[in-house]
Formats: sequence, structure tokens, C-alpha cells
Amino acid sequence: MSDSSSERAAVPVLAAEDLTVRFGRRTALANVAIAVPRGRVVSVIGPSGGGKTTLLRAFNRLNELTPGVATTGTVRFNGVDLHGDEVDPVEVRRRIGMVFQQATLFPRSIFDNVAFGPRAGGYGGDLLELVEEVLDAVGLWSEVAEDPDRPAMQLSAGQQQRLCIARTLALRPEVLLLDEPTSALDPAATARIESLIHALRGDYTIVLATHGRRQAARLSDFTAYLAGGELIEYGPTEALFTNPRDRRTESYLTGRIA
Amino acid sequence: MRGAKRHRDRIGTACAVMTAVVAAAFLAMAAVLVVRAWGAVGPGFLFDPSSRVADRAGIGPALAGTLWLAVLTAAFAFPVGVGTAVYLEEYAPRTGLAAVVGGAVANLAGVPSVVYGVAGLALFVRGMGMGPTLLAGGCTLAALALPTVIVTARTAIRAVPRGLREAAFSLGATRWQVVRGQVLPAAAPGIVTGSCAAFTRAAGEAAPLLVLGAVSFMTFAPRTPADPLTSLPTQVFAWSARSQQDFAAVAAGAGVALLLLLLAMNLVARAVHRRVQGVSP
Repeated sequence: MSDSSSERAAVPVLAAEDLTVRFGRRTALANVAIAVPRGRVVSVIGPSGGGKTTLLRAFNRLNELTPGVATTGTVRFNGVDLHGDEVDPVEVRRRIGMVFQQATLFPRSIFDNVAFGPRAGGYGGDLLELVEEVLDAVGLWSEVAEDPDRPAMQLSAGQQQRLCIARTLALRPEVLLLDEPTSALDPAATARIESLIHALRGDYTIVLATHGRRQAARLSDFTAYLAGGELIEYGPTEALFTNPRDRRTESYLTGRIA
Repeated sequence: MRGAKRHRDRIGTACAVMTAVVAAAFLAMAAVLVVRAWGAVGPGFLFDPSSRVADRAGIGPALAGTLWLAVLTAAFAFPVGVGTAVYLEEYAPRTGLAAVVGGAVANLAGVPSVVYGVAGLALFVRGMGMGPTLLAGGCTLAALALPTVIVTARTAIRAVPRGLREAAFSLGATRWQVVRGQVLPAAAPGIVTGSCAAFTRAAGEAAPLLVLGAVSFMTFAPRTPADPLTSLPTQVFAWSARSQQDFAAVAAGAGVALLLLLLAMNLVARAVHRRVQGVSP
């Protein structure tokens, strides 16, 4: 890894080269090459089953938990091969946090949900302070401050998803992988998550898989269009939306492909 | 529409009748036992040792023996069974030796209990020199309960949603932290219920203990696992095998006691289940 910060800025945070992921006989990703620049929001759009989730899960080595998966090609994190011998997947997941489509809370208190990651990582600081800080960052602290020890399941769907984001922020990761974080939410809760993503940009590198074309256009600096496991097109969001180079991208954006 | 509904009603009625038949059969069985035991059971029945005279025979040593056996069985089978289940579900590869072992374990659950007795006699009583003791009985019953504990624990672990595991992994937890922190607490109610059912069944077994050499005439209640092997089921068997009429009544009394004991064990299991589920940490 490089020493000077300017050089470091030039190295993409995440870079996949020739990335192919197969589940048994099904090819979920085929020869994907993509570089995620530091501190930016990259959205991944495309139809269901197109490979969005698989790409995100390749970035934090979650795919390997699925039996029968085969990954070829390379994924680099700050220039280091994620599948290198000396790389610990547990460490990778601490630095590259992930939020799922369905808010998957632990059946415990709000506090314990946030504290799980730091505790697992042997956090030495003041847990209460950390929990308050990240709950505040997602706008949840004011809503739960009086009783953070009540069951997390009592929160509304939108609050649960923000709690999931807070839980991930508590790891102090460099990257946030957000896998369709608003697809199960109503418009009001979606708006809150979107403004949160907007607020987090810059501090984190964010990769956002989304169903919503307009959400991608609103939130991201770069957009990748993924269909059938293939990266069809990748570029600055504005250029891709106003002047797509590939006909397939154009068809998708104009709604001719669901 | 109407026809289908009437049809369903008729099935419902049939099911209710069957339920009533089952309930009546159980009540009748319990009633027969209680009626036969009536009179044979004096105030000292629960605590007195056995006797050559039916009127003076009690189940003290047998009851103590069964309590010892239940505790020993649980103490051996629970940690080993849950540990094996965790290994097979969470750590072992899906193919190869571990998968074969896992499949074989499921088949062991169907082996007749008397066969465990024969194996226990060779392995624990003679091979390891334990003799016909409560310890040997506990080891044998633990081996008998183990496959059921493993199978039910595996089922409970497998039923834990994948999302819960992945969320924990994605928060930088190691596999053990995922298992300890999320999987086991979520699976605990199922593991406890299944295991307790296995222990209750084992505590009611007579055949394997008879093969091991259970004693049916003890003058004192066993105090340590090294004391001679005795139990309620083998006591019931010994008494009902005697020709004197009076002992049939004593056997019935011991049968009622065994029934109540197993019922109590089930209630305890349910209480534990509710507790584990309620305070799921």
C-alpha cells in the first residue's frame, strides 16, 4: 500500500477484475470489472437476479458462506487482494460493512444490536458513548434515548433499517455496502434513509444496490448497470442517465426492461 | 362450496372423536393403575426400601436411582449432543466423512433400546470395569438419548434464519461468535425441548438397564453414582414378574409413581423452554 495520501486517494477503495461468481451451475457474475473511488457513492442498478447482491457480497466475502459457491478473478481493497492468504475475512467484514435488504435485527435490545459488532471486535472504548454516537448519526438517538434497552423488534420498519445502518457504522468501516436498503420501506421511511445516505457520503465510500432508477440518479456519483451477471455499463451517474452508451442500458432506463 | 364445507365439517368431527378416544384410553389406563395400586400404597411407599412382604414394599431406592439416572443421562448427553450438532451444522464440510457420520447418527436413533443395553454391558460394565452401577446405567442411557439429542439440536440449529447468521458475520463476528451469540440463543428453545423429551424417554427405559444387571431388591437408597444400579422401570418389571397377587398392586403403585415423575419432568422441560424463549438474550 502507498504512503502518501494523494497516492492513496488515487487507488480505488474497491476494485474487481475479471470477477466471476458461480453458485453450482448458475453464473451470478461474469467477468465483472469495476472500480469504486474513495468517498463516493456508487449505485448498482439492474433487474432482479442481475447480480447486484452477489457483487456487493463479493466485496465483503459474504458469498463464501454459501455452500457450492465458486469465485474467480480478483477483488482488491485498497490495492490488497481480498482473497490473499494473509487476509482474514472477519477483518474484511469489519472494514467493509453491509446492510441488507431486509432489516435483520437480532432479537435483543436496541443497545445490544449496536454493541454486537464492537463487542465481537473487542472494542476497548466506552460502548455507551459509541452506541449513542452512531444512533445519533442515523437520527435514531432522539427517538430511542429514553429506553435503548427495549427490544429492537418494537421499532418501526424504517427505524429498524436505520438501526441496521447504525449497527454497521459502529464498526467504523471504510466502506458501506447497502443492498436495496429501502425496497421494503414506505416512501416516508425511504426519504429518511436517502437523506441519511446523502449525509454519510464523503465520510464513507458507499456502494448502493438499488431497484430505483431515480434513487440511483438522486444519490450516486457513479452508476453501474448490471444485468444477467454482466456489467453492461459503468460511468458517472449523470452521463449514464442522460447519454447511455449501450442500447441495453437505455432500454432499462426508459423502462422497457423491468 | 357447501358440499366442500360439509365435508370439512365431517372430517373435523371425526378428528374430535379420535381425540376423545385417545383421551379416554389414557384416562382409563391411568385409572386402572390407580385402582390397582389403591390400598397397596401406604404412607411410606415413596421412601421405604423394597421388602419381601408386599405390604411393606416401597420405591425409595428405585425412585432415587431413576433421579440419579436422569441427572447423569442429561449431564453426559446434553453437552456432547449439542456440541456434535453445532460441529455438524456449523463447522463440518457438507460432504465427506462428517456428512456420513451425521447421517449415521440419525439412524442410531432407531436402534432398539435393548441393543444399547448389550453394548453398555460390554463397554461400560465389563470393558471399563464400572460394574452394574448407576454410572454405567447413566452412560448407557446417555448413549441411547444421544442420537435424538443430536438430531433435534441439528434441526433447531438449521431452523435459525440465514439472515441472522449473515447479519452477524457481516458485523465482523467470527464463526464461534456467530454461533455463541446468535445461533445457539435462537435455537435454544428447540434444543431444550428436544433434549428433555429424549431424557424423559431414557428415564422410562427398563430393558437396557435389565441387561446391564439392575438390582430390584435394595435396602438403601443410592447416594453416589457408584452405588448399584436400580430404577423405577426395572422395579416395576421385577414386581410385576412375581407370582404373588399383592405385588401386582405394588407394581401398579410404582407405575403410577413413574408416570407422575415423567409428567413432572415434562413440566420442568416446558418451564425451562418458556424461560429460555422469554429471556432469549
